[in-house]
Amino acid sequence: MSDAVDTRPGAILRNNLWNNNPIFMQILGICSALAVTNLLTNTAIMTIGVTLVTGFSSLTVSLIKKLMPRKVRMIVQTLIIAFYVIIVDLVLKAFLPEVSRNLGPYVGLIITNCIIMGRAEAFAQSNGPIASFWDGITSGLGYMGVLMVIAVFRELLGFGTLFGYQIMPASFVPWTIMVMPPSAFFLLGLIIWAGKTAMSKGGQPA
Amino acid sequence: MNKEGTLYTIIFVFIVSFAFVFLLSLTNQATIGRVELNQELARQRAVLTALGIEAEGAEEIQEEYATVAADAEAGLYAARVDGRVVYARRFAGAGLWGTIEGVLAVTADLSEIVGIEIVSDNETPGLGGRINEPWFKEQFRGERIDGGGIVIGQTDGEGDPDRSNSLVDGITGATRTSDAMESIVNGELETLRRSDIRETFSALMKGDDA
Repeated sequence: MSDAVDTRPGAILRNNLWNNNPIFMQILGICSALAVTNLLTNTAIMTIGVTLVTGFSSLTVSLIKKLMPRKVRMIVQTLIIAFYVIIVDLVLKAFLPEVSRNLGPYVGLIITNCIIMGRAEAFAQSNGPIASFWDGITSGLGYMGVLMVIAVFRELLGFGTLFGYQIMPASFVPWTIMVMPPSAFFLLGLIIWAGKTAMSKGGQPA
Repeated sequence: MNKEGTLYTIIFVFIVSFAFVFLLSLTNQATIGRVELNQELARQRAVLTALGIEAEGAEEIQEEYATVAADAEAGLYAARVDGRVVYARRFAGAGLWGTIEGVLAVTADLSEIVGIEIVSDNETPGLGGRINEPWFKEQFRGERIDGGGIVIGQTDGEGDPDRSNSLVDGITGATRTSDAMESIVNGELETLRRSDIRETFSALMKGDDA
């Protein structure tokens, strides 16, 4: 992580989307990167959920940080995160039952996504509400960006479709491996490699 | 009050927990009606799809579902579809990771499967989870029931178009889910042959005609 935290909105955005991307620099939230990325629609909904939960949890943690006793702060953070995740789950069940069915247990598992707690602990605990909210949202977007790239490859090669629309010709033989979690590992490795190479070319220490 | 003291900590945790749980119950109350309606519609739609009745949208589903004679408690459904009497039963069986629930519909004389619909499952997404995909389920439509039941096995290609061979193409990479589906369907056919079940069905149909 960077030494001095720059809290200007532009700097936070750059940091979370690229320089300090939660997935390929901090290597956080990997479990869900493997689990939900074989279909683009599911990935999109899931990462939007994570983005909103991260943003609002950071906002809430920042708002009540002055009142929070230090020894229970982790428990309270978890409570706040769980609260938003259950809200997302309920909203999906009520308004997008089909998607909720597809994502199944993964929505509930957003609670265990390390990025959310990481941002609450590393940023929101020591910064103002607006900056924390923005930090949470952009961290979520950084996560979304990487997962969507993985999902594009997995869905295209694993099913021959994008967002459910047939892209590959009928003669295309789907790669079963792409549907299974290990393929996300390979792709993630390639993305981390590409990301770090690009970064070191740009003159930044990777 | 000392912010790091025990009393403050207990009060703080209590208030925070209370506030968030209270807000959650409000949200739950606000959405529960919709959630239950969605679940009910999904169930009704599954029955209709298995019976081979097409319905889109909430209103049409409820309208069509009203024409089906149902014993919802027992999970038995009977209807006249395109002049044929069709029976359906809700089932639950062991999949690879968890219970697979759905509806299986057959013709009254048990000579062919009318359709199958999966209501819920915990199979591996993208592999066993593909039992939800139309190509898999559509294979059962009109499939002849031969002697003991049907076989879910390997054929050349995606799906088995032959309706008379009692054979359905399994899912590549999901052999154990395919096997589970086979035993669930055949167990179901066994149950549908039972005389007490058949009596309930005829009673349902009579009640409907009357």
